[in-house]
Amino acid sequence: MTHAADYSSAIDRSTRPKATAPREPRLGFEGKMMSPGLLLLAALSIVPFLALVAMSFSHVRLLGGVRLDLVGVTNWVRFFTDADMWMSWLRTIIYFVLTVGLEMALGVGIALCLFRVLRGRNIMLSLLLLPMFAAPSIVGLLGRYLTDSTFGLYAWVLRSLGYTGDVLGSPVSAFAAVVLMDVWEWTPLIALITLAGLSSVPQSVREAAAVDGAPGWMTLRYIIFPAISNVLLVALLIRSMDAIRYFDIIWVTTNGGPADATKIVPVRLYETAFRFFDLGYAAAIGLAMLAFSIFIARTFVRLLDVRGLTR
Amino acid sequence: MSTAQVAQTKGQAVTAAPRGTPQSPLEATSKRTRWVVALLLVVALLWTLVPLLWMLLSSFKNRTDVTSATPQLLFGPTLDNYRNLFTGSNNLWPYILHSVLAAGISAVLAVGLGALAGYGLARTQMRGKRHLAFWIISTRMAPIAAVVVPLFIIFRGIGLIDSIPGLVLAYLTFNLPFAIWLMSAFFAEVPPSLEESALVAGCTRWQAFHTVILPLTKSGLVTTFVLCLVFAWNDYAFAVVFSGPNSQTLPIAASQLVTQTGVDWGQLTAIGTIVVVPMMLAGLAVRRWLVTGLTLGAVTGE
Repeated sequence: MTHAADYSSAIDRSTRPKATAPREPRLGFEGKMMSPGLLLLAALSIVPFLALVAMSFSHVRLLGGVRLDLVGVTNWVRFFTDADMWMSWLRTIIYFVLTVGLEMALGVGIALCLFRVLRGRNIMLSLLLLPMFAAPSIVGLLGRYLTDSTFGLYAWVLRSLGYTGDVLGSPVSAFAAVVLMDVWEWTPLIALITLAGLSSVPQSVREAAAVDGAPGWMTLRYIIFPAISNVLLVALLIRSMDAIRYFDIIWVTTNGGPADATKIVPVRLYETAFRFFDLGYAAAIGLAMLAFSIFIARTFVRLLDVRGLTR
Repeated sequence: MSTAQVAQTKGQAVTAAPRGTPQSPLEATSKRTRWVVALLLVVALLWTLVPLLWMLLSSFKNRTDVTSATPQLLFGPTLDNYRNLFTGSNNLWPYILHSVLAAGISAVLAVGLGALAGYGLARTQMRGKRHLAFWIISTRMAPIAAVVVPLFIIFRGIGLIDSIPGLVLAYLTFNLPFAIWLMSAFFAEVPPSLEESALVAGCTRWQAFHTVILPLTKSGLVTTFVLCLVFAWNDYAFAVVFSGPNSQTLPIAASQLVTQTGVDWGQLTAIGTIVVVPMMLAGLAVRRWLVTGLTLGAVTGE
């Protein structure tokens, strides 16, 4: 691992144009430019991180001023032995795989369709992008309205198709509903990124394949997908990191219910912290989630470094 | 299968029509493929737009139409929902003000500090650069839930709960690293030779940045600002924990309409429209740079 990093940084150094400006002492102009932003960022990220670590080993009291009572590894023992917690992680993984998987599949599909359209592509893309800008909490509330068993539009459609249950009322359909709401909101992002990748494949390459008589699916499998694999990976990573960040939709629709069916880890963390005010345990959960997101960030940065996507 | 045959002959007629112009072999897709593509796109458009249009329509419906058991497409439109939002006991204006202030100030601060730091990051040759970059990006990717918990304790300690500055700081936890990283990607695309010639012409480094580089990255600045604004405006997770009567934002106002006794769906769809429409317009205004912005500079162009 370290070898790979050293290797790529060596390339980086050798190919980078030499700075012509004379070296300035210590901080330098760049350092001065960076310091206000980075100092604020340090205050906003390192201080909370240390607080999070401290909290995860403490019992946090809120009444009569904030106080941390050290309790050792109690929170962590609980974290690793809590059966409900393990179920939450399992549910999170299922939720994560379903949402990100569906979004990738549908997004790439939409991008491929859009790419074949020449007239009206821009206007169609603009319309398809709209859900991305909607506040997730509003998407959740709208989803509740649409699936309400007495007057919801989609519930009415389902009723005419023969399904009469309450969508958000039973575990399986509620889980499917929150997954689909997330898919509705974020598939356009994948489509947008994939379309950018498709447009960057040189036309001559695709033409050559077409002239050689390669069938459509073969062109796709052997020409297009390899050419946009980096872009697809970026889309996957960007989506993955946001999939674990946002839980607003679940929070406003089912609140983790019915019968814990939609209680993914961030929802459980919120409940632990701000309903039961067990902030020490919540901090332990938060650190575990942070480890996951740092892993994603690591992969993202390595991808940029190794494949030379930028800079 | 006669329709397919007709479709095919038609397809030939169409592809044969523009004579003289050299055609790319890619255009020679069959009529049937084109129909399938069109059909799939129509389905995608319906799936995307029906909920939004339904929200917009419902916000103009009266109390009985909005909860009618059979969907009402034809109805007497009314502005009552919007009027009640601004006249009732629970006026929406303070919420709008809080949203505009919290999202606006955090976006301005993020872009300002982000442009400075992003430029420094793009041009610096310092040794720990990639560690610095990694720290910045991992801050952006940190799960909100993991940030909210310690911030809640800290804010309680220093009295920032239920205040606009508190919300601004909370939003900066994700907007600032985003802006630094993205602006650095935009600055990296400007060739350093431009500054060098400015330096040769007698500019200071600051003048070179201010008068030469910054104007060239105007679209990057606008894109970063819009995306920061959207992220902060749409936030619910921070606001639901940190805000009180003096700082509640629009998404909180919407969720407060959901009560034990029932939901006023007419008003709720009206608030939804008010929250969603401005961000959609802002987002589409920077559509050309959206890919760059949303992939944090990893993918460029359309």
